[in-house]
Amino acid sequence: MPNQIISFRLNGEVVEMAVSPAEMLLDVLREKMHLTGTKRGCGKGECGACTIIFNGKAMNACLIPAMRAQGADIQTIEGVEGPGGLHPLQQSFIDKGAVQCGFCTPGMIMSAKALLDKNKSPSKEQIREAVGGNICRCTGYVKIEDAVEDAARQLRASAVKGGEL
Amino acid sequence: MSQFEYVGKSVNRRDGVDKTTGRGLFTTDIFLPGMLFAKVLRSPHPHARIVSIDTSEAEKLPGVKAVMTHKNGPKNLFNAAVPMFLTIPQLERVLDQYLFDEIVRHVGDEVAAVAATSEAIAEKALGLIKVEYEILPAVFDALEAMKPEAPELHAGKGCTPEGRNIPAEIVKIPYNDVEKGLAESDVIVEQTFELPVQKQVQMETQAAVAQVDGNGDVTVWSTTQTPHPSRAILGQIFGIAASKIRVLAPPYVGGGFGVRIGLSGKAEPIAMGLALLAKRPVKLVYTRKEDFIASDTRHAAYVTVKLGAKKDGTFQALDMKGVFNTGAFCTFGAELPGVCGAMTLAIYRIPHQRYFGHSVYTNRTSAGAMRGFGNPQGNLAMEQVVDMMAEKLGMDPLELRRKNIMKAGDPWCLPYPCGTTELAECMRQGAESIGWERRGKLNEPGAVKLRGLGMAVGTHVSNAWPFCVDYDNAYVTIQPDGSAHVASGVPDIGTGTSTSLVQIAAETLGIGMDSISLTYGDTLGTPFDIGSHASRTCYAAGTAIKAAATDARKQLLEYAAGYFNIAPERLEIKGGVISPVAGSLDECSGSGLCQLEEVKEGKGNSVTVEELAYHAHVRNKQFIGVGRIVPENAPPWHACFAEVEVDTRTGQVRVVKLAAAHDVGRAINPMIVEGQIEGGAAQGIGYALSEEITYNDKGRQQQYSMHNYMLPTAEDMPEIHSIIVESHDPTGPFGAKGAGECSLVCPASAIANAVANATGYRFKQIPMTPERVFKALNS
Repeated sequence: MPNQIISFRLNGEVVEMAVSPAEMLLDVLREKMHLTGTKRGCGKGECGACTIIFNGKAMNACLIPAMRAQGADIQTIEGVEGPGGLHPLQQSFIDKGAVQCGFCTPGMIMSAKALLDKNKSPSKEQIREAVGGNICRCTGYVKIEDAVEDAARQLRASAVKGGEL
Repeated sequence: MSQFEYVGKSVNRRDGVDKTTGRGLFTTDIFLPGMLFAKVLRSPHPHARIVSIDTSEAEKLPGVKAVMTHKNGPKNLFNAAVPMFLTIPQLERVLDQYLFDEIVRHVGDEVAAVAATSEAIAEKALGLIKVEYEILPAVFDALEAMKPEAPELHAGKGCTPEGRNIPAEIVKIPYNDVEKGLAESDVIVEQTFELPVQKQVQMETQAAVAQVDGNGDVTVWSTTQTPHPSRAILGQIFGIAASKIRVLAPPYVGGGFGVRIGLSGKAEPIAMGLALLAKRPVKLVYTRKEDFIASDTRHAAYVTVKLGAKKDGTFQALDMKGVFNTGAFCTFGAELPGVCGAMTLAIYRIPHQRYFGHSVYTNRTSAGAMRGFGNPQGNLAMEQVVDMMAEKLGMDPLELRRKNIMKAGDPWCLPYPCGTTELAECMRQGAESIGWERRGKLNEPGAVKLRGLGMAVGTHVSNAWPFCVDYDNAYVTIQPDGSAHVASGVPDIGTGTSTSLVQIAAETLGIGMDSISLTYGDTLGTPFDIGSHASRTCYAAGTAIKAAATDARKQLLEYAAGYFNIAPERLEIKGGVISPVAGSLDECSGSGLCQLEEVKEGKGNSVTVEELAYHAHVRNKQFIGVGRIVPENAPPWHACFAEVEVDTRTGQVRVVKLAAAHDVGRAINPMIVEGQIEGGAAQGIGYALSEEITYNDKGRQQQYSMHNYMLPTAEDMPEIHSIIVESHDPTGPFGAKGAGECSLVCPASAIANAVANATGYRFKQIPMTPERVFKALNS
């Protein structure tokens, strides 16, 4: 089958890409757009290193056929930092020592962000469930959980300041 | 208040922003103009001779630019790991691999490689290569492989009086008279344990990108833990001067855990070989399956411990034996059995000891270094036998250990002293954290879920000597603007090297961390260093950096002294400012920050390093500190306590809590050290309960993906209490000792002892999977 032009929203901007039916979204992001923050750890949806937020849900980009991105709203790790600086999750990952080799970190942050985008007061179990599909071999997950809890706290605090709660 | 400005502080990692924003570059992210993509054809057979190989169809496929097999590949024997280049003079190097060989020795062994304009084309080309194999007899178990009738894996290598397929030296550690010690013992416990193949499963698979320029100079971006030794190995494989090869991390490496102490599988030489043929850059990234079946694992092993004690619990004799399954190739043939023996013998003060250990070739994926390097295997056997001894003597296992643990200054089998140990304090704090006094009182009669408490203690190294060549160099250059540039050959494989080493430099120089840059993991522009392994980076590379920074500081102060008109020893640098140490002021008139020339005129008593460095620069002088050191060695210590719950209906073992107390000397960055402890705990839980690669009767690995190799996830983790008990080791930088590996030495042993405490059943084999536990409890 020939390539097709698809268009989707990527980190807030509409983009157009020619993709083949055989391609996975991860290949398009990494190989064609050179957005290498999304990592490939297994290519089979088993490690979570390629987690992106796809229409509001954390998903493994290696399992999404590129064609399915047509019309989708996609956020990758490159779109998490705001104009005002790092997202609280990014800052908390640094402050709490949740980063070691860093290869799982983008996927881990995306999974956590998909959770916190919807729930700013997650329980420990909800945090564990949210990152349960993201393998980290360095940290034992201890400081990752701390970081997500810390970020949730900050997001709640800023929501209070902003009058959202 | 801490006596230090930077050391001992949990400062944030310098790679944090790069790694949390996706900006950080890893080898697998590299994309160069004209770059080709490589794929590797691997053997489906565990042992076979390649009778013929025809690549003509593959070569004709449009987009294919190079094909390499044993016919056109380099013909130099090598060892893919650092013993190729770092074997000590007392041992003989084991060189047993070609890049491509006529014989394949395990499922996944390299047969051919293709470089093409896309991965898809390279993959398609692999399917066009025709290979005819003559199947050879295969052997998978180490004890079977030693029998006289076993097939020989490497002709002419390993036929010894002790058995077949023993590739390297047999490590024998005699320490006094073990027979006498056993004869003097009142109680003797002997047990053999079977340890499984564990896999590092670092998140970034083995990878390399090679580029050859018009003069034949080669650049290799690589996932290696050891850029300098890897450069030397590549030079020897291809017969190219090491000085023409640059190996570097880009700079980030997605984990190591020992899997790339030397080459990253064979990613570097395959990419380089294809790049030399195609005259274009070549990128090779292993799939996760390739990483599983074609790069080093932890050694499966049989370890036997025979422990003798007096009635009062005093250990009298320890006789230990280890047989290590090294698979198809022997990357760390003598070093790893040596570390297993030495580290296990070093835990307790036992007057009579003996160790006998060696590697054995089999037709499995080659086993090499994995975090702990033989030590977890030995520790599992030893620490379970200690618990068995406690039971026999009717003693509390904690008491028995307290009575026998090594004390600072005690004699032991190692050629360096047991300089410092806070193991007793680690045991005290760990026991308190887990609630050791509850042991034996946790279960109601008839309970289906049984709780148990267990403990284990252990030690490790702070560098590779005396098992391996081990030295370090570093440069510290003071820039004309007063900032400092540090160069060290170690990479940062995720352990925080690029932060901790800068803390050491900042503390030594008296210059803020923000004014210090670090070049690391790059053979161009850094002096030789053996790399990041053996828990040595902070301890050994840190010592070299401290030496280089001390040298640079001395030069700065000597230059300044002429203007201050006092001895350089009476000057100090703090926060980037040079001034007389307290009490010297009377010799220096004036006060406050000023220009160097004004100091001479008595108009002030302090200058910035920036002012001094620029003052020197415009007078044709720069300060360059050099550190060239041979590190000592020192033992870190670990006391690990586990509480488990065993579901007798399902065989499921759940770790409820792990308390891991460590003596790492001084923690240069406590947050980073905690991360090491927690990560090691998780890998230890996996080793104890779920992680294992097994082989079917056709010699195929049955676990080769994260789907069926059961790694702990966030949902599997118990509460982990990491406890740092500081000591001050005189041999390490600011008192530091190794911290990277000791964390994985004891958790599985503690969990095994906790399971035995809960169920009354002692497992002689790990992992304690639900299937094994259920069977054991219901038979």
